[in-house]
Amino acid sequence: MTDQWILICALAVGTFSIRFGGYLLGSKLPTTGAWATAFAVLPGCLLSALLAVIIVQGTKEQWIAASICLVVAILSRNLLLTMTIGIITVWLLRSYVQF
Amino acid sequence: MQVNHKRQSLLPKDEFKSGLSDILPLAFGVAIYGAAFGLLAAQAHMSELQTGIMGTFVFAGSSQILAIERLVSGAGAFTALIAGMALNLRILLMTGLLRKELAGRPLWQVIIGVHLTTDENWALMYAARAKGRAVGYWYLVGGGTCLIIVWTMATVFGVSFAQVLPEPQAIGMDFAFTAAFIAILCSLWRGVQDLMPWLVSAGTSGLLVLFAPIEPSWALALGGVTGAVFAAMLLPITAEKEQVESLITEPKQQVSRGTL
Repeated sequence: MTDQWILICALAVGTFSIRFGGYLLGSKLPTTGAWATAFAVLPGCLLSALLAVIIVQGTKEQWIAASICLVVAILSRNLLLTMTIGIITVWLLRSYVQF
Repeated sequence: MQVNHKRQSLLPKDEFKSGLSDILPLAFGVAIYGAAFGLLAAQAHMSELQTGIMGTFVFAGSSQILAIERLVSGAGAFTALIAGMALNLRILLMTGLLRKELAGRPLWQVIIGVHLTTDENWALMYAARAKGRAVGYWYLVGGGTCLIIVWTMATVFGVSFAQVLPEPQAIGMDFAFTAAFIAILCSLWRGVQDLMPWLVSAGTSGLLVLFAPIEPSWALALGGVTGAVFAAMLLPITAEKEQVESLITEPKQQVSRGTL
């Protein structure tokens, strides 16, 4: 068996175990009180953390584009518009501005 | 909370279609990302069959990219596996949050539901609900079905045409997901009570990435959990109760439990 097949099979089993493990864990947690408050706020917290990780490791043109995207997203609440403007901004900055 | 009874509930097949069409802008980004993964898979000497099987049965883009990148850079399969698994730990928290959507369903629906859970369709479901739409399991599965098809096809396409595709960085496409996550985060905003937990999460994970010798995925998970614990400890639970219940309570109508 090659390294590729070992990795593919193990990662498939491992990833499914994580996904199903979350289900087993989640169904045992309470639905009211502090735990519920924490779980309600968790999606936004994980996304904030994910964005912080991306931004901290990012480049200057990504910081500028992210700032523009934030303004566009707050004003428009439009997913496709935010993505389009973000991609175009990064592309323009990489093409025409030297950092 | 009685307020949930007033929400307009959809039939499962309509909810599925709605999830499928709402995810399309994100599926476009997934296609680019998938083609990029295909280029990497070609460097790792993977065949179309291996790439297709990996896309279908792992179905976790960033961890696939990280694991194969490690393999290309000369690490063994075990090291590559650990890296990919660490990046997937956040999914544990995500499927854990789906308990209301998955409770009482037959095992095959639970298996399909958790396997089709990704950052994109999961966050989109919460965003739709934050806008007052009564969406749940079938909306998530609809989005996930679209994504798994697009992802697998794009990765196989990428590995097949590795010689002729442009680099995603050259056309700014690598930024597609960052922009999408910014838009999704804004649509998750419920009010000023979200601000401090979000800042605590972002600050914690940002500082950990900069100053702690740990994998970024650990920093991400720790930051997210810290923000949530902060919210639970410091915000008055009674004031939160209404928002909490409106977010985690599934629409009561039994039609949402029907078969597709």
